[in-house]
Amino acid sequence: MSASGDNFECGHSLEELSIYLDTGEFSDPGHLTECPECQSGLAALRRLAALGDELVSADIAAAGSGTDDWMQSILDNLRLELRPGRDIPVRPDTPGDILTETEGSISALIRSAADSLPGTAAGKCRLDGDVSTPGSPITVRVDVAVVFGHPLEERADALRRGIAATLARHTELNIAAIDVTVADVLEPGFPGPAAGPARPSESSEEKP
Amino acid sequence: MNQSLLPGDTTPAGLAAALRDVILDVDGVAEVFPARPLWQNIAGAARSAVTGEPLPVVQVEFDGEAVDVLTRIGVSTALPAPAVARSVAAAIREHLGSRTATVRVQLVQVR
Repeated sequence: MSASGDNFECGHSLEELSIYLDTGEFSDPGHLTECPECQSGLAALRRLAALGDELVSADIAAAGSGTDDWMQSILDNLRLELRPGRDIPVRPDTPGDILTETEGSISALIRSAADSLPGTAAGKCRLDGDVSTPGSPITVRVDVAVVFGHPLEERADALRRGIAATLARHTELNIAAIDVTVADVLEPGFPGPAAGPARPSESSEEKP
Repeated sequence: MNQSLLPGDTTPAGLAAALRDVILDVDGVAEVFPARPLWQNIAGAARSAVTGEPLPVVQVEFDGEAVDVLTRIGVSTALPAPAVARSVAAAIREHLGSRTATVRVQLVQVR
C-alpha cells in the first residue's frame, strides 16, 4: 500500500490538516500524536499562517489569500515533501546496526530554517543527489518567497549559512552546494506571478 | 518465540514497552513514533482492536536467540541528530545485554 494522489503515506492530506488548524476537527485526533509527517505538515502550515499575518500587517492581505500562485506552489511542494522519502544513512557505532534519517525529516528541517527568517516562506526544498550513498555530493535546492522590503541578497546569504550549519549538525550528508532561489517577492498589490510581469528573482549557489 | 535472557517481561510486547522507556530516556529524543505506520500494520491494528492491547510502539521480533529491534524516533535540535541516533542504538544494546541483536533506528523528525 502506498500513498496516492494528494494524500500522505498515512492516508491523510494537507487539506485535512488545514481544516484541523481552522476548526480543531480531525477524523482521527490520536493519529496526530503519532504521525511525524502530519506533525511536520501542521508545523509548516502554522508557519505559513504566521507569514500570512505579516502580510496582513503590511496591508497586503490580498497576497495572502491562500489562492495566490505563490501560496499554491508552496502547498503543492508541501504535499510532495511531507512524505518519508529516501533513507539517509547515519554511521553506526556497531557494525550491522542500521541508522537512518528520512529525507522528509531533513526537508522539513530545511523548510523550518527558511521559514524562521522573518518575512520568508520556503517553497520547494529538494536534496539532489544520491542521499542513500554516504559521501555522495548533494546539492540542496530551496525556493523561497520573500515579503517586499526584506533585502533579497542578504536574506539568501543568511538562509544559505543557516541551512549549511543545520545540515552539518544534523546530517552526515556531503553538501556540495546550496542553491537558494528567491522565486517570489510578495509586494503590495501583487497579483501573483501568472498574472503579472516576470517577478524579481535571484539565484545563488556556493559551497557551504 | 520468547526468550528468558532479559530482565523483566521478556515477551515481545513487554520488551517493546521497556525499550520505549529506554529510548525516551536518551538525551535528545523527543518522541518515539510507532515503528510501523498504521497503514503498514492493518492486521496488527485489527488484532489490537479485538484484544484491547495497544500496538507496541517499538517493533521487537525474535528469531531464535537473536532479536531484531526497530524504532522510529523524533529528536530535538538541542543535540546533533546522528549522535542521538547512535546513543539510542547503544542504549538499546545495553538493555539487551549480550543477546545477538540487529538494531534499526530511523529518525523521522528533527525539530
